[in-house]
Amino acid sequence: MSALEEIEVRDGVDRETIETVQAMAGKYKHGWETDIEMEYAPKGLSEDIVRLISEKNGEPEWMLEWRLAAYRRWLQMEEPRWAMLNYPEIDYQDQYYYAKPKSMAAKPKSLDEVDPKLLATYEKLGIPLKEQMLLAGVEGSDEPRRVAVDAVFDSVSVGTTFKEELKKAGVIFCSISEAIKEHPELVKKYLGSVVPQSDNFFATLNSAVFSDGSFVYIPEGTRCPMELSTYFRINAENTGQFERTLIIADKGAYVSYLEGCTAPKRDTHQLHAAVVEIVILDDAEVKYSTVQNWYPGDEEGKGGIYNFVTKRADCRGARSKVMWTQVETGSAITWKYPSCILRGDDSQGEFYSIAIANNAQQADTGTKMIHLGKNTKSRIVSKGISAGRAQNTYRGLVTMHPKATNSRNYTQCDSLLIGDKCGAHTVPYIEVKNNSSRVEHEATTSKVDDDQLFYCRSRGMDEEEAVALVVNGFCKEVLQALPMEFAMEAQSLVAISLEGSVG
Amino acid sequence: MAVTQAKLDAASARLAALDVPAGGWMAAARKDAVARLQAMGLPGKRDEYWRYTDPTALTQVAATPAALFDASDEAPVFDGIDRVRLVFVDGVFDPAQSDDPAAAGVELLSRQGAEIHWAQGLYGVLETRGQTPVARPLAALNTAAATEGVLIRVTEKAAKPINLIYLHKSETSDAILHHCVKLEAGAELTLLENGPAAARFNKVLEVEVADGARFHHIRAQGRDHQRRAVTHIFARLGAESLFKSFTLTANGVLTRNEAVLELTGDDAVAHVAGAAVGDGDFLHDDTVFVTHAAERCESRQVFKKVLKNGAVGVFQGKILVKPGAQKTDGYQISQSLLLDEASQFLAKPELEIYADDVKCSHGSTSGAIDETALYYLRSRGVPLRQAQSLLVLAFLAEAIAEIEDETIAEDVRARLEAWLARHEG
Amino acid sequence: MLEIKNLHVKLEDDEKVILKGLNLTVETGKVHAIMGPNGSGKSTLSYVLSGRDGYEVTDGSATLDGVELLEMEPEERAAAGLFLAFQYPVEIPGVGNMTFLRTAVNAQRKARGEEEMSAGEFLKVVREKAKSLKIDAEMMKRPVNVGFSGGEKKRNEILQMAMLEPKMCILDETDSGLDVDAMKLVAEGVNALRNEGRSFLVITHYQRLLDHIKPDVVHIMADGRIVKTGGPELALEVENNGYADILAEVL
Repeated sequence: MSALEEIEVRDGVDRETIETVQAMAGKYKHGWETDIEMEYAPKGLSEDIVRLISEKNGEPEWMLEWRLAAYRRWLQMEEPRWAMLNYPEIDYQDQYYYAKPKSMAAKPKSLDEVDPKLLATYEKLGIPLKEQMLLAGVEGSDEPRRVAVDAVFDSVSVGTTFKEELKKAGVIFCSISEAIKEHPELVKKYLGSVVPQSDNFFATLNSAVFSDGSFVYIPEGTRCPMELSTYFRINAENTGQFERTLIIADKGAYVSYLEGCTAPKRDTHQLHAAVVEIVILDDAEVKYSTVQNWYPGDEEGKGGIYNFVTKRADCRGARSKVMWTQVETGSAITWKYPSCILRGDDSQGEFYSIAIANNAQQADTGTKMIHLGKNTKSRIVSKGISAGRAQNTYRGLVTMHPKATNSRNYTQCDSLLIGDKCGAHTVPYIEVKNNSSRVEHEATTSKVDDDQLFYCRSRGMDEEEAVALVVNGFCKEVLQALPMEFAMEAQSLVAISLEGSVG
Repeated sequence: MAVTQAKLDAASARLAALDVPAGGWMAAARKDAVARLQAMGLPGKRDEYWRYTDPTALTQVAATPAALFDASDEAPVFDGIDRVRLVFVDGVFDPAQSDDPAAAGVELLSRQGAEIHWAQGLYGVLETRGQTPVARPLAALNTAAATEGVLIRVTEKAAKPINLIYLHKSETSDAILHHCVKLEAGAELTLLENGPAAARFNKVLEVEVADGARFHHIRAQGRDHQRRAVTHIFARLGAESLFKSFTLTANGVLTRNEAVLELTGDDAVAHVAGAAVGDGDFLHDDTVFVTHAAERCESRQVFKKVLKNGAVGVFQGKILVKPGAQKTDGYQISQSLLLDEASQFLAKPELEIYADDVKCSHGSTSGAIDETALYYLRSRGVPLRQAQSLLVLAFLAEAIAEIEDETIAEDVRARLEAWLARHEG
Repeated sequence: MLEIKNLHVKLEDDEKVILKGLNLTVETGKVHAIMGPNGSGKSTLSYVLSGRDGYEVTDGSATLDGVELLEMEPEERAAAGLFLAFQYPVEIPGVGNMTFLRTAVNAQRKARGEEEMSAGEFLKVVREKAKSLKIDAEMMKRPVNVGFSGGEKKRNEILQMAMLEPKMCILDETDSGLDVDAMKLVAEGVNALRNEGRSFLVITHYQRLLDHIKPDVVHIMADGRIVKTGGPELALEVENNGYADILAEVL
């Protein structure tokens, strides 16, 4: 056998991937903008703006007070600068905090009443807002899978599909603004219970000004009959997007939740500061998958989204489970650490991440696994890819409290470097305070394997295709954790994100 | 890190209470260090770099008294080796107990005049370089106020290892030693250090390893229970040079060992390793920063800790690969064996990499003794205590394997075994 | 030699009862085989006899030459002459295979009041025994079972058995994961150790190992008890008809 034949493309790269990669063309494909009349609140942030957002959403007094408390707190906080991110000072007064399509002034009662331009926007993104349709890219699968969508356009939710059917199962899936009005007892009980108003600078800002987002409640013993998803689209210029998502899985419930994000190409940076809170009670399970494809800015680092996100799941109940899966390919700046508080005995947290930073992108992302309960388990698999002049940092915390006996953590962090101008960094914190728990952390950094690239190229692929293929293999373990619809999108995103990274 | 007034005040108070030596060719370096320290302040509890180790005992004006400890149940370490012995009692050189330093080519810091000296290129120089990107104020304090130390310059293979022996005879002693070692191209030296030194010990070792030179360093930090120590090694490595350092720590209320290694010549090799065993009131902190600034260099960090009865192990290790440092091979492992539920392991193993053609990895684990392995050994007739000891030594083996001299390695193993026997149950 | 009476065992952390009144006598110099379907409690029996944690004996006894085993620590049982060849031999990184073996041999000798084996003598004996099991010097240098193939691990178990010279050997699913050649090699090693003073208890799911290690007595185990005892023909019956018939007949 010749040496060449012995070289194998990394495990898990299949024909399908090759074809997908080859089929992808063009750069950032969601960079177009929708020409639609918008209603803005005045630029800048003040108590009045907070009041206005609350009023526009028709919120009760308690919600306004909650927001104002957060705003006052935020004024005293300092923007964190510990991440390995380099960006100019953000002028928080030079942003719009509320933007809404004019056609949404009177909220449409059903999807049929939604502005066709908005529907077309999501259609173009491959997110059908018509029921009975599938997400793009999965035609031909054996069993049609239905996914309910809550579409958020700038500051507002434009519509939620499959609401009636979900209602029959007892599942509440609606915008958070609606939930505040319709289900105040649930919102009051759980909002801020995982990410408190004063949690961190960006979460506190979000608490003050969040305009919309999604709300999910899965009742006791219910398996959500379909996957739920939220699709975020930033369209308006100079507008920050601050959505808030709250998911509650009651005892024995199960839900798989998908989140997608895109934004038009713009020369200026736009701010995105979201909060996701998940509450998981006894024996319940939540899977949360994200494909983050905000506009990353151009090759020179002009434009792009500043993405400062706080996501946290509280495994409050015994035997509860959460699984975070994220594919972070977009944004100029990513600051994001989806975390698990493993409070219930025998609870489990998992974090699977692919973070790709190309050109001038900077990502500082990872997770926290806080083990508080007995026999808790966590697993972290992080794959970071750096190309161009990008900087990509994994930052994580695993902590085993004295009472979290017989717990386990396994962490694997791998970094891949493409080119000699980028950086890959690993900053894990490991805190073990009892001896019956076992913690294992492994990290590696290497470059794309030349033998693998050569093998691919000798089979007719150009360098970029070969890189995309090998990188997809490198990420396979995480891609496999995604629901099928997202796995396909993620694979092609990997290829697109790395365009221009070689040669 | 924000420099608060409290940290600046602490630095001023500490400096004011010290009898900073005057005169000699070091005067300028000392003055510079005082100025740097006054700008950075002393570390505080909330500093990121002191996240897991409270520096108060190391920064406060007076040393906390430490009871003297009788370690005569064991022969002194390195006893069987033909070496040059230089003895320091509570930080003060004791010629009566020592071999003649001059005969071995060693000079003493306390006997320096104002004339130009080779060590001017070293004293405080590597320490200053080591202050970025992370400030190490206690090292600056040392440069400013060290009262004693050795200056060693080697131009070929040294005839014998040099052994610095630190005796602790006063319960309130507060010693600050600063050593400079310069290995010229192709030279080779083994430096041995042992003993607790003082109730509180602040030591800096600056080592310049020129092209092709080889430096071996082995130290045992002394079994005094109540001693507190902060040590820094600052090393700069030239092309094809070798640096190997191993530290054995058994006992000690507080030990912070920092190693700041800079690989500046191609094909250099740096290994730094440690085995620490602690029972009860014990905090051991290994903080390592390895910078790869040249091609095809290799670095290894191997740190193992065995902890019981509330002992705390800390590891902060970083591999920084600078742009252009291609073909870097960086390895780092930090592991703790927690023998009971009260013990803790706190670690921050970091990689910061700006070159693509590299192979870097780190691993960190914490856990109890492997019950299945224990049972397997016992099922073969090995008694519980012996099986535990065997597994603990197996756990430490990778660190001990970093000692090249088999006689010393065997001695270290025997000491660890004895320690385990003393601390059974 | 080995006498087990009315042995009841449950899991320590669980209410699950695994052995439910097991009786078994293995005479000196005999080879007994225990066969049974998965989950019948075969491996539990071997673990309980060798003293692994996690099991609670709620009733019954197990004696070796009249001495109660169940009160003893694992190492005391080993010194008394009991040896378990593990189904899944344990990997111990950092401990050399040779060191492991010498520590075990000398610990047992010490426990029996015998003199330790000198390094030279030990080396000579190990080399000889290792050779017959096709274990090379390189394997002896490696850490215990680390990176060993399935066959290497099982051969290493037999080498330990040969070195420790126990009087009562329990082989727990020694054939699992082995191809025919590897199994023959292991069986030859075991057969070489058979003698008048040594007994064997061979635990296996399949009959095939018993073609190579011929038993004197075969027991069928199900639901935590011995349900049938017979000669070597019983194993063939299982081989031809499976467990279902026998179980239907006795339960």
